[in-house]
Amino acid sequence: MAEFDQPPLSHPVPPEPPRAGLARQLSGAAVLAALALACAAAPLMADGSAVHRLDADPVAAALLDGRGSLSFALLAAVLGGALGIGWALLAGLLGNLVGNRVERRVIGAAHRMAGWPLALLVPLAGGLMGKVWLLALVTAMTAAPAVAALAHAELSALLRAEFLTAARAAGLAEGEVLRRHLIPNLTRPLLAAGTLALPRVLAAESFASLLGLGLPPALGSWGASVGLAGRLGDPVAFAPPALLLALALWAACAIADGMAAGNRTP
Amino acid sequence: MNHISAKPAPVETEALTLMLGDRVLLDRASLRVERGEVLAFTGGAGSGKTALLAALAGQPPAGVDVAGGIRVDGHLLIAQGGRLAPRRPLALQVAEVVGHHLGLDLRLALRRTADGLDRMGVPAAARRFDLPPEQLPDSLRWACLFAMAVAVGPAVLLADAPAAGLDPTVRLRLLHRLADWARADGVALILAGRPEDGVAGPADHVLSLRRGRLLAPKPPRTAPLTPLEPPGASRLHARSVGMSYPLSPGPKGEARTLAVLHGIDLDLRTGETLALLGETGSAKATLARSLLCLPPPTAGAVVWMGRDLMAASAPPATGEDADNSGPDHVGLRRARRDLQPLFPDPAASFDPAMTIGAQFDLALESLRPDIAADRRDHRIDEALEEAGLRPEAALRWPAALTVAEAAHAGLARAILPEPRVLIADEPAASLSAEERETFLDTLMAVRDRRRLSLVLATDRYDEGLRDAHRGIVMLAGRVVESADAETLRTAPLHPYSRAMLAASRGERPALEGDAPSAFGQPTGCPLRRRCPLAREFCAQAVPALEEVAPGHHVACHYWDTPAEG
Repeated sequence: MAEFDQPPLSHPVPPEPPRAGLARQLSGAAVLAALALACAAAPLMADGSAVHRLDADPVAAALLDGRGSLSFALLAAVLGGALGIGWALLAGLLGNLVGNRVERRVIGAAHRMAGWPLALLVPLAGGLMGKVWLLALVTAMTAAPAVAALAHAELSALLRAEFLTAARAAGLAEGEVLRRHLIPNLTRPLLAAGTLALPRVLAAESFASLLGLGLPPALGSWGASVGLAGRLGDPVAFAPPALLLALALWAACAIADGMAAGNRTP
Repeated sequence: MNHISAKPAPVETEALTLMLGDRVLLDRASLRVERGEVLAFTGGAGSGKTALLAALAGQPPAGVDVAGGIRVDGHLLIAQGGRLAPRRPLALQVAEVVGHHLGLDLRLALRRTADGLDRMGVPAAARRFDLPPEQLPDSLRWACLFAMAVAVGPAVLLADAPAAGLDPTVRLRLLHRLADWARADGVALILAGRPEDGVAGPADHVLSLRRGRLLAPKPPRTAPLTPLEPPGASRLHARSVGMSYPLSPGPKGEARTLAVLHGIDLDLRTGETLALLGETGSAKATLARSLLCLPPPTAGAVVWMGRDLMAASAPPATGEDADNSGPDHVGLRRARRDLQPLFPDPAASFDPAMTIGAQFDLALESLRPDIAADRRDHRIDEALEEAGLRPEAALRWPAALTVAEAAHAGLARAILPEPRVLIADEPAASLSAEERETFLDTLMAVRDRRRLSLVLATDRYDEGLRDAHRGIVMLAGRVVESADAETLRTAPLHPYSRAMLAASRGERPALEGDAPSAFGQPTGCPLRRRCPLAREFCAQAVPALEEVAPGHHVACHYWDTPAEG
């Protein structure tokens, strides 16, 4: 149908600008995927035998560490994203059922907590509680307020959208409006808000592990290796995990940033 | 006299041509603007007004090639939107420009600007220059920019879309003051703006920029497209409709509300077109939405064909059984089918995640369950064609539509369920020039073909009344005058209606100052601080609507008294 709707030559339609942040998001995702693959394949590099991590060459050791760091970050990010999105949805629901004041209080708490140095809780939890899943839960909770604040902003912007009024004018019941219009338009912004948790939990876990209060040594972590190499003064052991950690952090930030930017209406 | 005319004109162009790539923006235009002459360029979006002004100012935008001769004496350009830094104090920014042009220090520059503000009619009490522009009302920002021009006193002033976005009465007052200054001081003033922005009003000459040429403007249509048919029986009734919004609780925890709509009565007859006229803050859009019960008003009653819509649209008391089977819900759906809205921003009224056709299909499924699923596509194609689009538009995504196409698609959606009433809230607000005329003509053609009732909320007085049977002039949530359209167009009685009429014709409105904010309404008559007829009593009582002639109501204490002094 496109050829029928050609604009007049005097008013050419400018080519559609590429979505903001798409390139950043894609490159971040590619780098992170490559890192994850390399980490998954790391045991093959270490001669195939179950070598002790410290005996392997520094690059292989850093890749082996990445297994712990990345899988923990993924677990905590999924938890944190879900917590934050749940928080925002709960605030919206309370606002609908109880009143705007409750909604403002609930989301105001998220805004305040997003400014607190919650990352300090992670080494605290790592030092006091040995269990990995408890540590993951605490790490997730440190990322949740920022996710909740952004998700709630997206949610309330969408709830004011004119097309919802148009749908109500078309006689759709509230349930239908929710199913046909709200949920399809909400999925992407909420996912974008959820990805904010990934760089945060990765940084928080690396910080805690750097202090030696993070993941248990058996799991391995970039932060722990960087800290150990720093204490031993070994530059060859220091460089690979530090570089890989920087790369992973950049990739996670690029994904989160790109998704949020692509979602923002200019 | 003689030695003035012997000097060359301050603006002269010789076969000026502007090219954007291989597109001709302006084709060999020869212009001459004398001292003290006011020239206005009008043109729709993208017609090249900004490029022309920038070329005259010697700074053509990137990518625009200029050919031909331009000679412009010492000029000052007021760019589109004013171009002020949002967070720096306004006084500093203005004084810097004045000081730069005249070589003055800050104190002298500020004094000259203050003189300029006197000429723009800004009272001293309103001058809050230590505030940044983002905290000042738009009208004060524009007045300050004009005062800056007055203070600099250039030979040529170029103003791109001056005072755009202001209410017509405020805009025309400022533009007339600027034109007065230009004529008195012998400045060549060139204004550029969209045809509906009223820059043509104060100008001596008007040129319309169309297809690369500067032509005489087309006079706008003043008569209805087809003669209006007399309306039938009254179907939609609104009784003392009021709307108030909750505010945050006061210092002692008491609940506070902001009332924006005060007890409006209104009847709409079959086939009747009613224009709701008013500027920002008049609550015409709130009234339009209240008639649709989207959201329902907080006071009064809206009755459509004997059915109380407010009761029907209230959430069910029990809460759980909110399914679609309740008798109220069926009644509301029936009323939704009959009353369809047109939105001020049509592009935003489409779900970005669905194609146009899918949304139309959903609306038909909901409002017209009597139409079989396989007949819906046919109906959608018909509606699109009637609204002036190709049926293929159904396959497109909302983001791929131009602004004009979105407006027409909005009209197509509204006529899809075969409604009886269209309630249009500034439906052409996003359109300009020819696109705007085409859309309004299509709307009127659809109305006539289907014999629809139409409620048209707009701030363009003449344009709204042109195709209407009756008009209601609103101010601060109250009706100040209601009469048949012919009376309102020829002999309105309320000072506010007169000012809106004058502004729509490009004349000088007889109102001073700006509209008060909704939070700072004066006691008594809301117009009294701007009104030429205001006397002391106006502060004491809100004037009631009284019938001054059959079918003609006015709410003014002194509508029949001439202005004092």
